Amino acid sequence: MRTDVGLTRRELLTNIAKAGVPAAMAATVGVKAVEAEESIPAPNVPLGLLYDATLCIGCKSCEVACNEANNTPADTDAEGLHEAPTDLNVFTRNIIKLYKPEGNSPSSFVKRQCMQCFDPGCAAGCPFEALYKDSDTGVVRWEGSRCIGCRYCTITCPYSVPRFQWRGINPLITKCELCSHRLARGLKPGCTSVCPTGAVIFGPRPALLLEAKRRIKNNPGRYYQDRVYGETDNGGTQCLYLSRVPFEKLGLPELGPEPVPAKQLRWQRRIYEYFALPAALYVGLVAVIRKNLAAHEEEAHQLEKETGLRPQL
Amino acid sequence: MSTASTNNGPATRPFKTSADARTRWERFVPAFGFPILNRFFLLLVSLTLLALLLTGYREIAGLGPASGMNDKFGWGIWKTFNVVVLTALGSGAFSVGVCAWVFRRRLLFPLMRMALLTSMLAYVCGLCLLGVDVGRPWNFYWVLFPWRWNLHSPMAEVAICMSIYATVPLLIENLTPILERLWYLNVPLRPAIETLEHVLHKCFPFIISLAYLLPAMHQSSLGALMLLAGPRVHPLWQTPLLPLLYLGAAAFMSFGCVAGTTMLCCVFWRRAMDMDVLNEAARISSWIIFGWIAVRILGLLVVGSLGTAFHLNEFAGIFWTEMFLIGYGGWLLRGSLKDQKWQSMWLGYLFSTLGGMLYRFTPTTLAYMPGPKAIYFPSTIELLVAIGFATAGIAGFLLMVKACAILPATLQEWRDMTSYFTVHEPFVMWKQYLNFGFVDYKILDNADLSRSYVKTNHD
Repeated sequence: MRTDVGLTRRELLTNIAKAGVPAAMAATVGVKAVEAEESIPAPNVPLGLLYDATLCIGCKSCEVACNEANNTPADTDAEGLHEAPTDLNVFTRNIIKLYKPEGNSPSSFVKRQCMQCFDPGCAAGCPFEALYKDSDTGVVRWEGSRCIGCRYCTITCPYSVPRFQWRGINPLITKCELCSHRLARGLKPGCTSVCPTGAVIFGPRPALLLEAKRRIKNNPGRYYQDRVYGETDNGGTQCLYLSRVPFEKLGLPELGPEPVPAKQLRWQRRIYEYFALPAALYVGLVAVIRKNLAAHEEEAHQLEKETGLRPQL
Repeated sequence: MSTASTNNGPATRPFKTSADARTRWERFVPAFGFPILNRFFLLLVSLTLLALLLTGYREIAGLGPASGMNDKFGWGIWKTFNVVVLTALGSGAFSVGVCAWVFRRRLLFPLMRMALLTSMLAYVCGLCLLGVDVGRPWNFYWVLFPWRWNLHSPMAEVAICMSIYATVPLLIENLTPILERLWYLNVPLRPAIETLEHVLHKCFPFIISLAYLLPAMHQSSLGALMLLAGPRVHPLWQTPLLPLLYLGAAAFMSFGCVAGTTMLCCVFWRRAMDMDVLNEAARISSWIIFGWIAVRILGLLVVGSLGTAFHLNEFAGIFWTEMFLIGYGGWLLRGSLKDQKWQSMWLGYLFSTLGGMLYRFTPTTLAYMPGPKAIYFPSTIELLVAIGFATAGIAGFLLMVKACAILPATLQEWRDMTSYFTVHEPFVMWKQYLNFGFVDYKILDNADLSRSYVKTNHD
């Protein structure tokens, strides 16, 4: 159904934008915030998606395209007839959901997939760096040979994105990796290549951010708080959202500008900085225990002499 | 040894004289004379075997069919109970050890072997179940490659520290009673064992220090695990103090586990209870408890979420249940110091430990809100496996306590043991340690034990 043409007009724009990335990056707030955070190096070209919920018609072609691009089976209902996932799962890295409140308030579709955070909670918690941020594209990727399957990422992700395969002897963690295998071949991610209304577009984050701001400027009052979700939220995400309804209704929590890992692990990280404090503690412990142990052994041997009982240390 | 020649004779505790030598714990003595194989032991072992069988099913079918875990609740009781809660119970080697060896509360020495044994069993069983719980255990070898450690991750700290702690310091520290048993039973091995013990004693300062540093790190990191869940954990638990409170809870829970289990063993095998030692443990434990409660309340006040404790919902209910159990336990412990009732002391340990267990469990499961309509309840298989790995620990405990000198006991008990072995297992070579073997009951009835014993020994 989808033809992989060599270079579309949008991809051409994308490539042009890529060339101007360093300049554009310096101009964006989110990246600045990340650059201030020393522990997380900013990617060379942060790639992402811009999803405009006001343009989405809920056709779900992106779900099908995602399955096709990632070679995941369709998540069908009991009859095996129609693709009907109710949430992200091990077969579904990308899903269209509908927020429909009671009454006359506006409803909205929402596309959910990995946000590709600048400071990803999943990678912050991953013990052996199985989830890591690609240094070029900033895409959060999963390396199966380092994953122990602890499922901590399913708890640390503030957007509840990573999914664990609950069946089988070789379970995988699945999440949107922005079709990195397609990017390497010069192709766009599956979802953006089929969207009929342009509700989701792909590109370098600075270019997407400029586009989002342009839309907000050109359509006053159309977007919630005239704000781009992901510009600063959770320290900035590479996937950006525009919406008519409050972001929280779409499952995008208001996390504040500070990334969750940096905020929550502030003290933890200070305590373990360079491992200096534990090392100092260890040296002190050795000194104290050596002294106490020597005294104890001396007492024990003294008692052995007096009582004839073999010491029990 | 100036105090050694006081009225009570040479005790293994020269710094403190007890009122009654008949209850003074001076030796470690196995629970001798009881068969290891009995119905209860077989029940425990069969539960463990059943659990092992079921883990086979889990490995083949995957976690989904075997457990109640799902996309919303990625962690089940294997992690949240067997690892997070039970290793806290097994932190005795850390908490009792730090008090005894760092702060030199020497009265606690008689509890050390119990502490080391319970710790090792809790950690080994917890880690084995962790191996069953994780989806890709074959990748665990990355623990050996420090450049792959994500040191900012609490999970890495837990995984690395726990596995190093259980496999190196705990096992080595627990070698002592095993080597001792071999020393008594295999005379030809004695020179080799003595050499080994000598080497071990040289290494002990480094190993013991590691055995205090690592649990301090990973027991607090177990709390830090839930920090990253952010607002999905209820604010009564999600505070920046979570790691410290987890560590503190582990401290008083493990005191409860060590002292409470020792008391239970004393009742069960009819041994004397040394109230000096138990009072010391209860005193320390109660101070940890009250300090912990104060820190928790203050922390909630500073963060400003104490108000949610007065909402009428299940979270406030859990919060007050925890606080009541822990506080009432601490109060009972204080009371037992006054009226010297071991029963209320034991109940104090029981309540505070149960409260601590609930506290450790809640943030991971009961107060964890991954989204609307998210439900987790452990499946039958999951429960049976969790139980089976806990009973493995209990079975290992019974085996070790009967085979090795773990439980603290009086000199009288030691003498009874030597008499028992000379009658029942005469092939055991007791060497010079036999010369006080048979108990002279006349002396026992009339005079001070230790004094008479010293006389016989030096005659």
